[in-house]
Amino acid sequence: MSAAGAMIKSEARLLGRNPGVVAWAIVLPVAAAIVLAAIPGTRTPQDYFGGVSAFQAYQPILVLFVLAILAVQALPDVLTRYREMGVLKRLRTTPVSPGLLLFAQLALMVGVSLVCLVLIVVIPGIISGQWPKSPVAYLISYLLVAWAMLGLGMVISSLFRNAKVAAGFGTVLFFVLQFFAGLWVTRASMPEWMRWISNLTPSGAATQSLMDAASGQWPNLGYWAVLLAWGLGSSAVSIRLFRWE
Amino acid sequence: MSIIEVRGLRKFYGGRAVVDGVSFSVEKGEIFGILGPNGAGKTTTVECIGGLRSRDGGTITVAGFDPAGEDKALREELGIQLQESTLPEKQTVAEALQLYSSFYRDPRDWRELLDRLGLQTQANTYFGKLSGGQKQRLSVALALVGNPQVAILDELTTGLDPAARREVWGLLEDLKDTGVTLLLVSHFMEEAERLCDRVAVIDHGKVIALDTPEGLASGVRADQRMSFEPSGPIEPGVLEQLPDVHHVTTRDRRLIVTGTDNVASAVIIALHQRGVACQRLRVDQPSLDDAFVALTGNVDRELEPGAADALSR
Repeated sequence: MSAAGAMIKSEARLLGRNPGVVAWAIVLPVAAAIVLAAIPGTRTPQDYFGGVSAFQAYQPILVLFVLAILAVQALPDVLTRYREMGVLKRLRTTPVSPGLLLFAQLALMVGVSLVCLVLIVVIPGIISGQWPKSPVAYLISYLLVAWAMLGLGMVISSLFRNAKVAAGFGTVLFFVLQFFAGLWVTRASMPEWMRWISNLTPSGAATQSLMDAASGQWPNLGYWAVLLAWGLGSSAVSIRLFRWE
Repeated sequence: MSIIEVRGLRKFYGGRAVVDGVSFSVEKGEIFGILGPNGAGKTTTVECIGGLRSRDGGTITVAGFDPAGEDKALREELGIQLQESTLPEKQTVAEALQLYSSFYRDPRDWRELLDRLGLQTQANTYFGKLSGGQKQRLSVALALVGNPQVAILDELTTGLDPAARREVWGLLEDLKDTGVTLLLVSHFMEEAERLCDRVAVIDHGKVIALDTPEGLASGVRADQRMSFEPSGPIEPGVLEQLPDVHHVTTRDRRLIVTGTDNVASAVIIALHQRGVACQRLRVDQPSLDDAFVALTGNVDRELEPGAADALSR
């Protein structure tokens, strides 16, 4: 087996033995999406959600929920612990780069989040008949969101040496991201100034572009630009700051 | 042609030379020890040799490669066991060996290595459940799984209890016949005495001695020291008159006598003439330990802040 294949397999096995936060990232939003889809009342448009239904308003937030947990909580936790344990340094003594472990982790997180995406979109689609009306725009939005979120996770992994501090910071960031995504106060009912801030956060831009794509419009390019900027910026910062030991 | 050549190696941290002109060469198949007090620059030296740290001066070749070149081919020829490096808690011994063997072009059979290191029964044990000695044996296995010509083992037995330490030593003795060249960093004299063909003593970033362990020990001018319990009463003054005796002290029933190389036979004969026998006799040769203390001069430095772990041993 190739080194990359063996590494992904090994990391997947370790994740399976220590599911922890990843299990929550899968179970909670998938269950919520199915419940939402099963209640007929969530299918009628309401002013509180800015003229869309409750299901349409919350589905993108749930998609983001999965990505955010995996990227800013699970990923930095694993990577900072591997650095503390000297796993990354040990890999430097072998012919493969420790970058291979980063690659394996990113691939694993993207894989898990894609499975969740399918569950969150397909099962409710079958139950309630509500599918994203513009799948291509939806997928592009999703990939940009994934990049921005994983980039933030890599920045956390680069900034903090201590795994516990990184995990704490990741938790705080997760709630901030979910706030601007509109989990507690929907974006439609935010005051004007707060929605502006939300538009500039990766989670606000993520929710809006996924919601637009789901309802059949091509998202405002401004949202994609915001996501792209976060993806590029966070990648640049983490490439500069990340240390193997 | 030596397999490791180090010439004038220098490394500075914050303007201070941590390694200051270290030179030595290691022959193929040799077990070469690097000894020194804490903070002497041992780990920095081997990390430069291992290509894990950049150097500020000098030249190094390992199996024909300059380790500073980050050459992947060097990684095929050089295995490194790092100080205080662990694995994920829930990775099993077999999984770790299998994974690391997939990184190399021409790895050793990891199952054979498992047997050789006496880990067969632990093959499916999680890393987190291994004993200290087993973890270190796995660490050696990971350094050797790529079938390297050279392996660097840094503070392999530090933190192990004496039984586990002997277990790891036995293993390294067995490895001698595989022809792997071992570079062993240690601050246990007993370890170096037992395993190493040659030893370099490093202090303040410089090589202050380089010889076989026996050569180093015999180079120290130290008194021979004997101690025993006399079978009958004996005046210390009787022994002090002997020309070979320098000093006599009494501790409980035991007499401790120091003197020249002939002190033991001189004392035994003198006592025999008076009908007294030496019971529980013990004679100490000057050891590598004595040589080390004589060479590095001060035992005090071990007590400096930052060397706290030396105190706990």
